[in-house]
Amino acid sequence: MSEPLARLAGLSYWYPGEVPALVDVNLELEPGLTLVTGPSGGGKSSLLRLFNGLIPHFHGGRIGGTATVFGRDVGRTATRTLARDVGFVFQDPERQVVYGSVEREVAFGLENLGIERSEMIRRVGMALERLELAKLRGRRVGTLSGGERQRVAIASVLAMAPRLIVLDEPTSELDSSGVAAVLDACLDLAARGTAVLIAEHRLEQLAPAAGAFVRVADGRVDGRANRPILSGPPARLRPLPAGNGRGDRSAWWTAGLVAGPGGTPLVASGPLGGQAGEVIALTGANGSGKTTVLRAIAGLLPPLSGSIARQPGRTAYLPQDPGALLHRPSLLAEVSWTLARAARENAHDGLEVAARAALAEFGLAELAERDPRDLSAGERQRGALAVILAGNPAIALLDEPTRGMDELARRSLARVLDRMRGAGCSVVVATHDQDLVAEIADRVLLIEDGRITEVEPARVAGDVPVLAARAS
Amino acid sequence: MNARALIVWSLAGLVVALSTTNPIYRALIALIAVNVLRTWSRSEQDLGFLVRAIAFTTAGAVLLNVAVGHLGDTALFTLPGGWPVIGGPWTVESIAYGCDAALGLAAAVLVVAPLSYVLEPNELVDALPKFLERAGIVVAAALNLVPGIGRSFGQVRDAQTMRGWRPTGLRSWSEVIVPVAITAVEGSLELAEAMESRAFGSGPRTRYAPSRWTARDSVVLGVSLAAIAITLWARAAGLAVDWFPYPALSVPAVSPAMLVAALLPAVAIWR
Repeated sequence: MSEPLARLAGLSYWYPGEVPALVDVNLELEPGLTLVTGPSGGGKSSLLRLFNGLIPHFHGGRIGGTATVFGRDVGRTATRTLARDVGFVFQDPERQVVYGSVEREVAFGLENLGIERSEMIRRVGMALERLELAKLRGRRVGTLSGGERQRVAIASVLAMAPRLIVLDEPTSELDSSGVAAVLDACLDLAARGTAVLIAEHRLEQLAPAAGAFVRVADGRVDGRANRPILSGPPARLRPLPAGNGRGDRSAWWTAGLVAGPGGTPLVASGPLGGQAGEVIALTGANGSGKTTVLRAIAGLLPPLSGSIARQPGRTAYLPQDPGALLHRPSLLAEVSWTLARAARENAHDGLEVAARAALAEFGLAELAERDPRDLSAGERQRGALAVILAGNPAIALLDEPTRGMDELARRSLARVLDRMRGAGCSVVVATHDQDLVAEIADRVLLIEDGRITEVEPARVAGDVPVLAARAS
Repeated sequence: MNARALIVWSLAGLVVALSTTNPIYRALIALIAVNVLRTWSRSEQDLGFLVRAIAFTTAGAVLLNVAVGHLGDTALFTLPGGWPVIGGPWTVESIAYGCDAALGLAAAVLVVAPLSYVLEPNELVDALPKFLERAGIVVAAALNLVPGIGRSFGQVRDAQTMRGWRPTGLRSWSEVIVPVAITAVEGSLELAEAMESRAFGSGPRTRYAPSRWTARDSVVLGVSLAAIAITLWARAAGLAVDWFPYPALSVPAVSPAMLVAALLPAVAIWR
């Protein structure tokens, strides 16, 4: 029997001053594609960071037990040394770019390894070809889509010819086309013999090719997890006539809207509106203008022409980066601040009770006192939702609310949106998540070529139910 | 343009603009730098942020000088002397001196701006000597985070506005500045994590592409060195001709040698 690529034995890890992030982990990693699953905040990112030594060398903390990767003791080998064998791709493609141009970005790791120039040129070319990025080699990374950027990150790692590539939710920031491209690339790597360890919530595409599944929850790791149960394919949308604009229960409406950042028109539409007690999904490719529309409805971006009006009442707005909302010392303090502002006073009876209830709705009751910056990406996203949705807003505008969320958290969100619909809130969700669209949307607006049109979510395809029933 | 030639050009501009208080040399350097930026900036670069930042800081410099200066013969109005710091005469000469200081500040920022707006981060790194290379990479990587910080500022301001925040004074901006700063620190840490994961600092580095040097780069280097030499000579010989608006406003005099030094960097506009 061949030696495993990596072996963790009785391994526990504590972040500085914290409860254990990983508890008594026993795991052997074999070649092929290994999928890491489990709820957000369960310890997936911590586990992955063990394989290239970011834990414990970069993050500090305390480690117990043994971890060996390609025969090296992780506790005694620096990350930069392990980087020769282990490549790592992070969640956010924007925050792992060192250089400005695609070609130089892919070469960065090779320069660090001291590879000869002729060999560098060969490897950069090979990596760009493998990730279908050859046409983009001269482009600046900042001009690429999210999916293209993440493929550049994978190419940058691949060029270093590691024996193992670790990917930490590489699609959490991407639209559906970006997701498909990145996951295709991962499958191709595995098919060509590179060991791939990937934490990912979107399992449909990867699971059939996976050789092993690892489940991580509450810091405990099941290295012999069963194949996860998958939901069906996303719903198909079919075109409908254009929207009807203002109605009796209108919460907001637009007329002749043209909007765009920096004075440049990006999106235009005919009469458009949202009713109280209605959930509208706003879909479209990256850069199509979904955020622009949300900001225009919120009143944050004045329209270039046309008009927007809202009924009186608070409008809640979730930006793409949950960090924009989370900077107080605890989730509880952050939610309380929203409620205090909504109540137009700093002290309000029952504020804490209401704040705790808002957090509980997103499964965050036990994390109420935690610093939001210490939470996982999925937990932070839920925290940001609790922060803005506390206090029953009249309108809720949510920009990519399921980013980084696992299936359980996504269902919590669906339940909350269902409750808000019942309470008369007008919700607009800008999302790439077609499952969520089919699950909760009363109407779907699609932005394509700068125009907003209305389409209908099909909840069945033929006689086969394609999605789980609406959350109850 | 080669990064090394541009670095020396920026240095020459700084030397000329900051070695005297003469607004004419400073204005010339600022004007030349604006044209270099217009000619050489990468197409996707938005100069709007730079213009706004310069306008904001220079306006602050003028206001600060006139509010606390109180020197000069020509008073526009006088605030009660008992008022701390701002009490006393507000003079035309103080405004003129503030404008001169602002011009120096603007010229200094504008001559350095091409290092970010014209060069790719990797070009800057390639231009550095080996012993500075790692520090250069860290700086280049940090520069890549700057656009993200700008976006983060917009997102945080939007998010806080929608939660009921309003800018009611300097202190109120902490609701925006603190999250942006925290996000920037997080971004830096994530980038450091990514660099470490790609073997940064693991040993001697090689370079993917050697930097190119053309005849034009030689010319830019030559005139930049000449501008520095002339400025230092004029300074040492007492020919630089500084300018002070106090006690009464006067038209700045010009030294022919310094005029040449201030005009030589214009060669870099040629493409």
